[in-house]
Amino acid sequence: MENLILNIAHILTSWLVSLGIPALWADLILLILQWTCIVMIITLNVLVLIWLERKVSGFMQLRLGPNRLGPFGCFQTIADTLKLLTKEDIIPAKADKLIFMTAPMFFIIVAVLLYAVIPMGKDMTVVDLNVGLFYFISVGSLSTICILMAGWGSNNKWSLLGAMRSVAQMVSYEIPLAFSLLGIVMIAGSLNLSDIVAAQHKLWFIIMQPVAFVTYFIAATAELNRGPFDMPEAEQELTAGAYTEYTGMRWALFFLAEYTNLVAVSALASTLFLGGWLGPWLPSWIWIIIKTYLVMLVFMWLKWTFPRIRMDHLMSFSWKILIPVSLVNIIITGGGILFFKGMGW
Amino acid sequence: MFGKGLLKGLGITLGHVFEKDITVQYPEERPFLQDRYRGCLAFDFPKCIVCGLCIKTCPNNVLSFETAKEEGSKKKKLLSYTIDLQYCLFCNLCVEVCPTNTLYFNKDFELTKFNRDDIKIVYNRPAEMDSVVRGREGDGHEEKTDNPETEAEAKRLKQVEAMKTVLAKNPQKSLAKIFESEEDIAIMANLMSSDDKKLNKMAELMVEDKEKAAKLAQAWVNKDKKDRPKEGGEQE
Repeated sequence: MENLILNIAHILTSWLVSLGIPALWADLILLILQWTCIVMIITLNVLVLIWLERKVSGFMQLRLGPNRLGPFGCFQTIADTLKLLTKEDIIPAKADKLIFMTAPMFFIIVAVLLYAVIPMGKDMTVVDLNVGLFYFISVGSLSTICILMAGWGSNNKWSLLGAMRSVAQMVSYEIPLAFSLLGIVMIAGSLNLSDIVAAQHKLWFIIMQPVAFVTYFIAATAELNRGPFDMPEAEQELTAGAYTEYTGMRWALFFLAEYTNLVAVSALASTLFLGGWLGPWLPSWIWIIIKTYLVMLVFMWLKWTFPRIRMDHLMSFSWKILIPVSLVNIIITGGGILFFKGMGW
Repeated sequence: MFGKGLLKGLGITLGHVFEKDITVQYPEERPFLQDRYRGCLAFDFPKCIVCGLCIKTCPNNVLSFETAKEEGSKKKKLLSYTIDLQYCLFCNLCVEVCPTNTLYFNKDFELTKFNRDDIKIVYNRPAEMDSVVRGREGDGHEEKTDNPETEAEAKRLKQVEAMKTVLAKNPQKSLAKIFESEEDIAIMANLMSSDDKKLNKMAELMVEDKEKAAKLAQAWVNKDKKDRPKEGGEQE
């Protein structure tokens, strides 16, 4: 079980090589297959996630959630997806067509790119980058541009307002997000996610870095434009923010990318703080799935509990509380490392 | 402690997850309605004393009736009573003012209708309230059959007569095309045997226009079905 997926990959490569294909090409084909798998898993997972989100929100509000289509309404999202696929694709007459049309594509590409570095099990990283964490943060911040593209391309003042909000929000929350991860990098001594997971085999970093975990969680929620920080798409004020003018599949792509980002951020949280794929009895790739889903459930729990906070409060919270707290955390962590090294650990 | 309220909120939502849901699965489960629930405004025809207070008190002119002087006395009698429910604001004034509790709110809250004309609820004078009217109308109809103007008309009337006998004798077979369920056929047969007017109308329409006949028959049956539970509710 543990090496099931790795074995499949190994068998595939050796089969390709036995067919007379050069090893380099075989690796390339395998890479393409891996990406296809990731995209498939993401897409199908989103179906489950949207259903889960609706169920969880229903339960939290003493409702039932979707319950008509299939057992516990689990086919509801499939029907919704089919509906979105068959809907008319409307492009506003005065929209900046090129930007309008490419924004959702870039958004989903950026979201999928995040999965390159996440270790999805023991030795199961698509690209085991030595600057994996850095790559994750830098690629993750690209999604800001996609939302701005969508807002600008729509040529609609509410869309643009939503996009501007999201840029302001995401840029200011990027800083505490990166800072909160610095402590971990200092302890693990590496930016490679596999190394960071390996460094947690004795003690999860959530115990060593509880403050960093909290700041990361808050900053990540803001990065995802979710929960109490969903200012860019504040329905009551901006209809749907940057997504207002989007219909059908283009809109669905945004939705898909948002949930993809949610999974990526949750997977990163479980990798950095909850020991990643480390765990007893079960295979490593099941452990990361369990942990990721638990983190996502907490994200949903937060979203359906807290009311949206005001834009100026949001900004001041980032700059006046989160950034100082994460900076202090870095200093304390550095001091702690020096202290323990001095003690001769 | 800072953030105490946030934790409290999280506790509440987490608690809700494990609480029982308050959703009523509407079409399958029926909601519990209080005794004073104002559903559909209903009218109990025989109880009405034609005082007209309800019509005077109604702020939206929802209610109206047709009356006639009873022969040989000053008393008015009610011919039909109309509730135009689309203008009703369920203010309860007519129900409060009615001296004989003829008007009342039942618990039927499914008031949506497909056609605009169906919103109006018309209560016609039940035939059993006075047999005189029924007899006279029956006579009139027979006169018509005696003096056919053309041969085609005579032929049509013959067909109608034939249809009438078929409908009266073997309703199961003749109505099978119109209704799908046997229950409806039974109700319709009942209606026709108790009311000659309905039988005549039905026979005529069956000859002239089958579709119209089907529509009308369905309407009658639906109305009958709707009236029944109401009567049952009252007895309780």
